[in-house]
Amino acid sequence: MENLPSLTKDQIIQDLLPKKFGKIGMIWTFTLISICLFGAFAYYRQLSKGLAVTNMGDYVSWGIYISNFVFFVAISLVGSLITAIFRLSNMKWATPLTRIAEIIAVSAIVFASLIIIIDMGRPDRMLNLFLHGRIQSPIMWDVIVISTYFVISLLLLYLPLLPDLKIMIKFKAQSSSILNKLYLFQGSFWRGTSEQFKVSDRAITILCITIIPVAFSIHTVTSWLFATTYRPGWDSTNFGAYFISGAFLVGAGGVVVAMFIFRKFYKLERYITEMHFEKMGRIVVMLSLLYLYFNINEYLVPAFKMKTGEEAHLKGLFTGEFAPLFWFAILVGMVIPILILVFKKGRKPLPVFIAGIMIVIGAWFKRYLIVTPTLLHPFLPMQDAPAKFHHYFPSWEEWAIAMATLAGSLLVITFFARIYPIIPIQETITEQDETCMSLPPTKQPE
Amino acid sequence: MKKLKINKYAFLLLQFLFFVVINKVSAQEKEEAEELVKLNYFTINNGVQYLILENSLKTGRKIEPLKNKVFQLYLNSNLPENLIGKISTDKNGNAKSFLPLSLKTAWTESSKHTFIAVALGKEDEIAAELAISKSKIKLDTLTTEGIRNVTVQVMQLTNSVWVPAADVEMKVGVQRLGGILSAGDEETYTTDSSGTASLEFTKDSLPGDQKGNLVLVAKIQDNDLYGNLIVEKTVPWGIVVKPNTSFFEQRTLWTTRFRTPIWLLIMAYSIFIGVWGTIIYLITQIVQIKKLGLAVPEKEV
Repeated sequence: MENLPSLTKDQIIQDLLPKKFGKIGMIWTFTLISICLFGAFAYYRQLSKGLAVTNMGDYVSWGIYISNFVFFVAISLVGSLITAIFRLSNMKWATPLTRIAEIIAVSAIVFASLIIIIDMGRPDRMLNLFLHGRIQSPIMWDVIVISTYFVISLLLLYLPLLPDLKIMIKFKAQSSSILNKLYLFQGSFWRGTSEQFKVSDRAITILCITIIPVAFSIHTVTSWLFATTYRPGWDSTNFGAYFISGAFLVGAGGVVVAMFIFRKFYKLERYITEMHFEKMGRIVVMLSLLYLYFNINEYLVPAFKMKTGEEAHLKGLFTGEFAPLFWFAILVGMVIPILILVFKKGRKPLPVFIAGIMIVIGAWFKRYLIVTPTLLHPFLPMQDAPAKFHHYFPSWEEWAIAMATLAGSLLVITFFARIYPIIPIQETITEQDETCMSLPPTKQPE
Repeated sequence: MKKLKINKYAFLLLQFLFFVVINKVSAQEKEEAEELVKLNYFTINNGVQYLILENSLKTGRKIEPLKNKVFQLYLNSNLPENLIGKISTDKNGNAKSFLPLSLKTAWTESSKHTFIAVALGKEDEIAAELAISKSKIKLDTLTTEGIRNVTVQVMQLTNSVWVPAADVEMKVGVQRLGGILSAGDEETYTTDSSGTASLEFTKDSLPGDQKGNLVLVAKIQDNDLYGNLIVEKTVPWGIVVKPNTSFFEQRTLWTTRFRTPIWLLIMAYSIFIGVWGTIIYLITQIVQIKKLGLAVPEKEV
């Protein structure tokens, strides 16, 4: 925010208040809605015909839906990284990014829950988890931790929003009557008194402390869904750390992509500056190197031993059926972004954006590679199984539903940015005031 | 002499070629497929009679079951009124049929019967035939001075009179999961002129059910005259086995939700209460913020 001291309070408010969709915004929104509707139609087919419309079977019982679930859980972790860790570390420069990170976290966790229900085939049986759930099962832990993380993320989104709601109520002429009613319902009681700020700041600090272990748990438990089963590729004691490092990477990648898009289309160059891309670029390099380290650890050690039971799985990844996808995920998802971002010129907005997109796409395929190849290589040989059970490629219904959930999460972010300020207004004003206060007094002309 | 030697080698070569050709011809013969149809007659506890038809294709040494093949079974002659039933083979090449009530008169009229199988579409050709004599089997037990004895008697119906069936080989034993465990010292027993086979029950330390019951079985298998006869009797000669449920009563990770390990319950609920307690506290803080705000009139701010 190097340009901020020259901005007035009104300028900041006018710049950051939510704006109506332009032509591109409308096209973008309707495209997402169309994808969601097509996915809803595919889901209607799945509900009426059963999971038979998918290409999942006796062996690949976790297909693209669960890959998508792991991806959503991973990207949701960014809320704890940017909001909580940066806030607790007093990294003020990250303030404009907190709400972007939080809304990514909330939308991702909503669709992570939805995709699990979609994968169940019989959604009404979800209730059985609560009626007959066993606390011994990691699936039950996942249900508990996901709902907990969702509530905490919502609170972390809502509490810092209260001062901004007051501003939006004040500038009600710039919003529709429905939105004004919503703002009044959510934040009419905020007066901005010192007592309210005191309680709010304390609550936000408690939230930031609470969300870190919960966020670590959500992804560790998700990794345990795999690691607690004895299968090639999943039987690892390292899975929790491996998943968390990957989650931080994809989350940070998602944030840099969102930063670039919001900066460009909402004209936020004065708030999301090159400095933010420079700093996020450094963080992404560190996280990429960390995830690459865990990947080397996860694949090199088993490959060195090449146990008979794991051989088919590993060779399938390195040189076999899944090799193109595997090397794509490693190179595009980790190695190339490192090579781009490790140089100063690579940490400019556009290269960071490109690296972010590569990371997110690579991460999606990486989740697919974690789930599917293992299921195709069980320890016991596949005997008397139909030929189609030896391979898996999602059906069009699976693709449509998975893409609809991705579009749905983007739609939630889009609508959120339409309704609420995507950069915290009050915090930006406060920080500008603090910066002005800390500046040396300017010399008055004699 | 040299010429003779050449002739000798030529003779050996001819002999070798002869064997090769013969073997090849014989191998070709073996490769010819032959359809096998076999009828088996069963009587269980002298009450239920049924037939099992086995249908397979023999190619060389390989025998493969023929599935979905339809046959008609007849009693004594392949006339429509003697039809036992129309059956279709399953994936193992087997088909089963009971005797219908409509053939009760024909069945009781004679002591000897012939079962006929005719394949669908080949009605003028008999696919398989099986002649049986009506027979019955009885299993008795007697304990004298602590010695347990088993007696099996086989009778054959001849001119409406039951007469002892001699020289009938059978298995007498205890029904176990994998088959019949001989009750005595011999693998099989044969009836004497009185149609009886007796043996001493020597397997006296076998685990039974929860009441100590064992199932004694006498089984005549594939007999040319009588087919397959099986009789069972439950006797309290086994050791009482009480199922060990202690394994399932433990608190483990793999039991029901009512037997969760205490350590896991403590851990899970402490984390759950800790985190959700914090969330509830934070919600009360929002309520507090609301109260603080509502206490101050809007214009004063």
